[in-house]
Amino acid sequence: MKPLKHLTLILAASAFAALLIAAMFALPPPTVNLAASVAADMDRSGTAHPVTAVLLNFRGYDTLLEIGVLLLALLVVLAVSPREQHAGSAAAEPVLQMLARIAVPLMLLAAGYLLWAGAYRPGGAFQAGAVLGAAAVLLFLAGLLPGWNAPTLRLRWGLAGGFLVFLAVAAALLGQGALLRYPPEAAGALILLIEAALTVSLGLILAGLFLFLS
Amino acid sequence: MTDPLAWLILLPLFWATGAFLLGPGRGARLAIAGVAVQLWLAFALAAKVGAGGTAPAGSAASMGTAIKHAIGGWGAPLGIDLAADGLTAVMLLLTQGVALPLLLFARGYFAGDSAAVRYFWPLTGFLLAGFNALFLAADLFNLYVTLELVGLAAVGMVAMSGTAAQIAAALRYLFATLIGSGMYLLGVALIYGAYGTVSIVTLTPLVNADAPTAVKIAGGLMLLGLMLKTALFPFHYWLPPAHGGAPAPVSALLSALVVKASFYLILRLWTGPFAPLADAVAWLPALLGSAAILWGSWQAIRAVRLKMLVAWSTVAQLGYLFLIFPLLGADGLALQAGGMQVVAHGLAKAAMFAAVGVLIHVTGRDAVADVAGAASRMPVTLFAFGLAGVTLMGLPPSGGFLAKWLLIEAALAQGQWWMVAVILSGGLLAAVYVFRVLRQAFLLVPNERRHRFAKSAPLLEWMAFALAAASVLVGLRGMEIVRLLGAVA
Repeated sequence: MKPLKHLTLILAASAFAALLIAAMFALPPPTVNLAASVAADMDRSGTAHPVTAVLLNFRGYDTLLEIGVLLLALLVVLAVSPREQHAGSAAAEPVLQMLARIAVPLMLLAAGYLLWAGAYRPGGAFQAGAVLGAAAVLLFLAGLLPGWNAPTLRLRWGLAGGFLVFLAVAAALLGQGALLRYPPEAAGALILLIEAALTVSLGLILAGLFLFLS
Repeated sequence: MTDPLAWLILLPLFWATGAFLLGPGRGARLAIAGVAVQLWLAFALAAKVGAGGTAPAGSAASMGTAIKHAIGGWGAPLGIDLAADGLTAVMLLLTQGVALPLLLFARGYFAGDSAAVRYFWPLTGFLLAGFNALFLAADLFNLYVTLELVGLAAVGMVAMSGTAAQIAAALRYLFATLIGSGMYLLGVALIYGAYGTVSIVTLTPLVNADAPTAVKIAGGLMLLGLMLKTALFPFHYWLPPAHGGAPAPVSALLSALVVKASFYLILRLWTGPFAPLADAVAWLPALLGSAAILWGSWQAIRAVRLKMLVAWSTVAQLGYLFLIFPLLGADGLALQAGGMQVVAHGLAKAAMFAAVGVLIHVTGRDAVADVAGAASRMPVTLFAFGLAGVTLMGLPPSGGFLAKWLLIEAALAQGQWWMVAVILSGGLLAAVYVFRVLRQAFLLVPNERRHRFAKSAPLLEWMAFALAAASVLVGLRGMEIVRLLGAVA
């Protein structure tokens, strides 16, 4: 019975994949060319890189909600993680520790650079935050950082701060007539403010998804 | 506070974050104050929408003429728009209107239970923000993000008190909801590939003009994914353990609102961009809906545990919503029936789970047999359960009666006799499972061994009663809701 079931599943999945591929080859060229609209409005977006412009300005509302989803994921992890926890990881190899001590300052530097580079080339808060989160995980694995228990007030501000800054900017810009309507002259500064706050919070959230469970 | 559209989304996000910053278990008052303001905002929006002209809600034209908010000032398709018409206004009113009494209920219910409540308030804030953002969205990708907010918050709330059974139910629910969103997202990607835009207003005429195979696949995927999330038979397998296992205020939020969010999206897409593709398969959801009514009611009649009975009743009641699809026509009757059923069932099911929550709280047990003799101890709670049952059975003058009346009228207008038979037998089956509980509570003498009732909390009883009364009284104000459903500003 079981091999037959597997075979049916495999056949169905392959047929669906073939159908998808065939359908995609038959696609006509898209009617709406959004890339052209993005290029036309780049000089009013407050940043020089189209990806950052789409993420933080043109479709900034999606990004705002996505940060909400990440914070929410952390809340779910906190809600289900056991209350009593052991602190610290076991093995502390001297070689790993030395390597971590060398790597982590460089990772902090790299995160700062990625944040800054996001204004005019690929990069930005998500990438920088991922590097920060990785640095925290490395410190934990090397035994230099204990696992996290219930978050303290300071850590809670760190986790939610980026989202709160983004939310506050979005609400404040309602005064301009619409949610997240940056005035073109201040757009660059506001986007940098949001990205800087997001970098810290995303780093902590990504680290938290690992460290609250370990 | 000038723009209800933006603040309905921002406000719950603010108080959710605030409740998280305050710390585990804190933030109840903040949340209740926030939802009270949201209810006021929803009324303001409904008044604004209702003041406009009328056209069939949800039709292709209605999205184009609704109240709009161009986020960032860019406008679709470059930016993201929010849009509100009559259907949106009704869903927003229902959401805030069910949430306010339920949060007051939850505050009393969780008093002293520090484990379950640790992250209840921030999770609820994100859940409500997800609802409001979903109902206001007019962009397929933005809708995906809001689906994720709703789904993840709901899974977290099922899992939060951390028993093994609940974690298992939550994990099952997580897989179902992730597969559903994944199918939806694949569909969105295909549509973006075909047309280069995800704005519903821009898409609708494009799909009408020409729909390549990829778009048909996309429509099918999105529909299937959303049916899975709405727990339509036979995709209902995840619902009873998740809804029946969660704490009562969470079950109420899940059954009253969460499954309605994905139904709303199906309706929105079906009557909007996918209208030209949908007619050919309209009988499919109706057949599945009929099966859901019969199977869900049968399981509710057989259920041993009280909360499972109510959860299976949700499976059955969701079936009615899918009967409307072959009947959607120019007269708008079927759409009004669907909207009315969403409202009536939302209020009634919230009331029923709240009442059952009080019963379990007081008797300390979760079997139908254990409520024997409870009527003399908790008349208000049993009355609330009975009133909610009146709505589920569809007796006049309740909202459920009006919904079924409109549905039967729409079915007769199109000569679908078999559907009338399904609707009527569904009402009879509902009467059987409702009276199963009431008979125990009123007629049977409690077993001496079990006769240990804890003290009941009046606030909890009266909140359940308020919701149940609203589910009946909404039938008397039904014409206003029907008019709002057809209103387009």
